Amino acid sequence: MKYVIIGNSYAGLSCADAIRRFDKTGEVTIISDENYRAYARPLISYYLEGKTTDETIWYKDDDYYEKNNFKLMPGKKVVSVDTASKKVITMDGTKLGYDKLFVGPGGTPFVPPTEGFNPESPMMGTFTRFDDAKKMERAAKAAKHKEAIVVGGGLIGLKASEGLRGLGLHVTIVELLPRVLGLALDEISGNMTAKRLNENGIDTATGETVTKINLDESGNPVSVILKSGKELVADIVVVGVGVRPNVGFLEGSGIKIDRGIIVDKTMMTSVKDVYAGGDAAVIYDVINKRPNIIAIVPLACEEGRVAGTNMAGVYREYPGGMGLNSVEIYGLPIVTIGLTNPADESQKVYIFQDGEKVYRKLVYDGEVLVGAILLGDIAGSGILSAIIRQGLKCFKYKDEFLNGNIYSFVIDNEFEIYNINEGYAIRGDFEDLPEFSRTNWR
Amino acid sequence: MNKNKLTNLKEDLKKNQVEIMLYPSKCDGCESGEFMACVKACETHMREKYGSKYAGARINIKKKADKFFPIICHNCEEAPCVDACMPGARYKDMETGWTVTNYKKCIGCWMCVMSCPFGAIERVGKDHFAAKCDGCIDEDAPKCALACKKGALKRTGIKNYSYERRLMVAKKIYGPYIKSNIKG
Repeated sequence: MKYVIIGNSYAGLSCADAIRRFDKTGEVTIISDENYRAYARPLISYYLEGKTTDETIWYKDDDYYEKNNFKLMPGKKVVSVDTASKKVITMDGTKLGYDKLFVGPGGTPFVPPTEGFNPESPMMGTFTRFDDAKKMERAAKAAKHKEAIVVGGGLIGLKASEGLRGLGLHVTIVELLPRVLGLALDEISGNMTAKRLNENGIDTATGETVTKINLDESGNPVSVILKSGKELVADIVVVGVGVRPNVGFLEGSGIKIDRGIIVDKTMMTSVKDVYAGGDAAVIYDVINKRPNIIAIVPLACEEGRVAGTNMAGVYREYPGGMGLNSVEIYGLPIVTIGLTNPADESQKVYIFQDGEKVYRKLVYDGEVLVGAILLGDIAGSGILSAIIRQGLKCFKYKDEFLNGNIYSFVIDNEFEIYNINEGYAIRGDFEDLPEFSRTNWR
Repeated sequence: MNKNKLTNLKEDLKKNQVEIMLYPSKCDGCESGEFMACVKACETHMREKYGSKYAGARINIKKKADKFFPIICHNCEEAPCVDACMPGARYKDMETGWTVTNYKKCIGCWMCVMSCPFGAIERVGKDHFAAKCDGCIDEDAPKCALACKKGALKRTGIKNYSYERRLMVAKKIYGPYIKSNIKG
């Protein structure tokens, strides 16, 4: 059996591992358009700061590919997939036959139309690849005024600005929405985050966009002009607005695409023997109850694993995922889970705030917890994400969750399960066991 | 006598079938003696093992009313923390089956803290790493299990566990007539 995997990152490697678990001899080829072995992509901002080095940024062990007998083809860009004759065609004309194909191309950075944006310039660019980080590291050394502009106040933008700040630059984040991390955070938590950024030398210009980038004769940025007419000095311009599924190369392959790659429950696309996962796949969102693209690491791994299991011939379904994220901004940990800014009136919001240190927000839909924001104190947040993902009724724990006693849910619901040894099971009343069970976690 | 014993802990441990078993009803937070002996033992041991940078207990005891509950890693089959780990610091040790951490890679993104359904991973904000029990797999016995005098934490092998459980069930039904030959 010949397996081909497009994409050498979380989804692709998780898929390869799953294949290897069930098929010890199959030929696995991993194609990547970058010249590196798998690295931890979200860590490129930490690389700028120096928290991650050239030795520790690699996602897997040095001998990972040899040990598992995976063939890595780095630096090859796939230009098209011929699903009729089952071949993958790369930029240099190589045709690679496959029996089962996994497509995990991830996303390409989205750049809003801006006058003067020139990605060829060594002082300007997007921020999603290892090469981008290396470019910015060089740019920071060459910066004359030590001023950087980051377009986009989402996770990419925030981490990029933290990285640039770590290199000694003064950074201004330009964000279209009225607050940083606007999609995940609400007003209070967004302001707390912005305050933390401002205290550490990162300015935030919210509700703004960059309309024009002024260039010097060699094409490098000099200043940017904002929507409000303000002009800011800029040595470096980084655009980190977001990513779009990288699905351009699938045109003409017959694979159904609607924003992302459409997959069924087994992660198979509309074409037989072609599977997909990761940031480019459209999966079922268990919170919003509709198909959605959720571009986060844990789901990419899960999707890759389900796809790989099916590719190796073992049937497995993917129940769907939900959006959740975690980040630390200058010592302030932030966790957002599920639906955090409800538009529906019937969904109730409960808030706890302790000054500028701790903030908790719970979103209940009836008795079911559907979303949460935790700032400052994130202990036990995993329990909340398990509850939210399973859609458990837990309204009576509302006050305890708000006060941070998240563990009380576990104690109430698992105490008896653990004491099964002492005769609980022998009475034969398994129905009495609480419905909170690890087996339906995934 | 030893030869005829039904179960042999040493043999079990050799096969790496080791688990730290949890019996929360036996835990009383060590109120009568030293408070939380397992937590203290783990803390001292971790400081010796990893140095002051990665010190801190990997086990915690949470209390609600009169119930105490030791919070410890459960080694999920497909661990959410391994999926969530962005730098690839957390991985499954294939020989022992334990989920362990390479602390040199951990950068403190708290993705695993957010994913662990047991709340068993602790954020150490000062030193930027996520601390989780690694089962002391490279050692003879976990210090928490040794420190626990109440029997709430036990280190057993699979054979021992199943035997013990059978006896317990039997004891529950026929109580006084059967005596367990396994102590502690």
